[in-house]
Amino acid sequence: MFVEFFYKLRESGIPVSPTSFLTLQRALRLGLVNSLEDFYTACRAILIKSERYFDLYDRIFAHCFQGAELPEDQGLELDAALRALLDEWLKNPRMLANALGLDEAALARLSPDELIEYLKERLKEQTERHDGGNKWIGTGGTSPVGHSGRHPGGLRIGGSSQNKSAVKVAMERRYRDYTRMGPLTQASMGEALKRLRNLVPAGPKDQVNIEESIYQTMKNAGEIEIIFDRSLRDRLKVILAIDNGGWSMDPHIPVVQTLFNYARSQFKDFKIYYFHNTVYSNLWEDPMRGKKPKPVEEFVRMDPETRLIMVGDASMAPYELLDMDGSVYISEKSGTPSIKRLAFLADTFPHHVWLNPVPRREWQYIHTVVQIARLFPMFELTVDGLEAAVTHLMAA
Amino acid sequence: MAKVKTAQEFRGAKKYVVDEELAKIVNISIGLEMPLLLKGEPGTGKTMLAHAIAETLKMPLIVLNVKSSMKLVEALYQYDTLTRLNDSRFGDSARDISRIEDYIRMGKIGQAFTAEARTVLLIDEIDKADTDFQDDMLDVLDQMEFDIIEIDKTISARHRPVIIITSNAKKDLSDPFLGRCNFHHIAFPDPQSMREIIRVHFPDLGSELTKNAIATFYKLREIDVVEKKPATRELINWIRALELDPDFEPKLLAQGEVPYLGILFKKSQDYAVVGNYLSRKRPY
Repeated sequence: MFVEFFYKLRESGIPVSPTSFLTLQRALRLGLVNSLEDFYTACRAILIKSERYFDLYDRIFAHCFQGAELPEDQGLELDAALRALLDEWLKNPRMLANALGLDEAALARLSPDELIEYLKERLKEQTERHDGGNKWIGTGGTSPVGHSGRHPGGLRIGGSSQNKSAVKVAMERRYRDYTRMGPLTQASMGEALKRLRNLVPAGPKDQVNIEESIYQTMKNAGEIEIIFDRSLRDRLKVILAIDNGGWSMDPHIPVVQTLFNYARSQFKDFKIYYFHNTVYSNLWEDPMRGKKPKPVEEFVRMDPETRLIMVGDASMAPYELLDMDGSVYISEKSGTPSIKRLAFLADTFPHHVWLNPVPRREWQYIHTVVQIARLFPMFELTVDGLEAAVTHLMAA
Repeated sequence: MAKVKTAQEFRGAKKYVVDEELAKIVNISIGLEMPLLLKGEPGTGKTMLAHAIAETLKMPLIVLNVKSSMKLVEALYQYDTLTRLNDSRFGDSARDISRIEDYIRMGKIGQAFTAEARTVLLIDEIDKADTDFQDDMLDVLDQMEFDIIEIDKTISARHRPVIIITSNAKKDLSDPFLGRCNFHHIAFPDPQSMREIIRVHFPDLGSELTKNAIATFYKLREIDVVEKKPATRELINWIRALELDPDFEPKLLAQGEVPYLGILFKKSQDYAVVGNYLSRKRPY
């Protein structure tokens, strides 16, 4: 019975290790568990290592020991399956819209959760009626607003930007908060970042300088003279500015996430700002780019020794970079071409690089990349590129 | 397997309200001689629990406050070379310079291992340290011994300490680490248990004040945009402040007035947001 319980937990995706199961057995043998309630608590404390799984555990426990049906089990799997499907579809919203018989504008208004609910509704209709579903017939081509268009002036509503030239993104449904990231995948990236250090003496003099102490002691004819030094601390300040907007960056987000995760723990003073495509009057402190603007001019007050790392694909419509009011946001009137802003930042922080997730071989075909690369030394967002960038940043 | 001393059971201390479930988990961890990892929001009483256990079981408490730059050796022992050098120069101390052992000082974990009686070892905010530290430390706690390289001696624990580890979940802990601990997540207390907690701290507090203060507190916690939500600690301090104010009357709270907002919200931004929220909400 216990073994069955153990496997039920495993099947449902809770990482339960055999060792912890043996620990549970030990707890039982020790006579620490005297009732079902005790058993429930003991099991949870010993087997489950994260509060994320508490709810699932409760349900499985009830199922195994109190005969309850595994409630919503189907629903659970359905959710997971749908989410996976949805992720797939969102890469190409028109397909999804067609499949659902919605136009894309309506689709774009739904949040992912609402979408899942909607899909579930549809699936239920499907299983209940078995009518083959006239609602499943697509409405291909009738939608008034399109995407993936090659006309640079087209209004895009969602969709993958194949031409990397999204103009006026009228509807932004998603933002990604990079702080809540999944597991780290590329440990080598952290290794590369580790070279980005600037150790300077700081704090109280509390470290013995042995060499100097011996030398001074000898000079003193054996009278001990202990020399203290300040310990070395990493005083490097780093600003990381990430392009987290726009569909063109979406495919690169996992890589940026990895970078971000490492950067967090790396430096003493580390600030992250966000922008979309390029920099206008403000950089943003919040990932949604709405609440906490930081005017570009204010960066002049910061330590010029700060290392500035821009991360972005630098791919946009040329006018976004060069026009007076080039922002994709209608409300943002900057008055200065973005390229001037970038030049300003590059001037303010002499140590600057641009990391580009787009492979180097494609750079020459994207006009804006070429433009920006004239201001910022540009490196590929790969381990090698990162190492080169770090070397560049540390060069005097 | 040694018989578990059933006489020593944890039931909650004078100033600490423990729910039954948590008490059970503590007892199981003590019985299994495994570290107990506590996660939860700041201010849910993770650290207080260790104090409470120490108080109830009448064991000395040893606190290891983990810092981000900490090395494992620091937590185990320290070889005081400077004192030795000093002694060798002046030779006016009782210590024997040729015995390095005299110059080994125990760190917090070392102290817990060498203590005369069983101790409660609280390892506070483990998530601040890097993963290597965490894994290495768990090795030591698993084996219940460590080597002092300088004198080639192994220190093994005379009594297995009761180990409580807390984490604010800033970083995820590694799987091998989790595998060696028991785990509990302390949820933020609901208003019911909060009343209990307040009663423990302020036995003579008027019921109207308790009710209104807690109601206001939970209402304020619901404001979404606040970055750092007030926790139990803030509530207790706030009530203390309310008590000290001779002009304060509990019914003011019910009217939506919140004095001493600064005790609850410590970030200037949060303070402004909540202040705004309150002035809009006021019914008159």
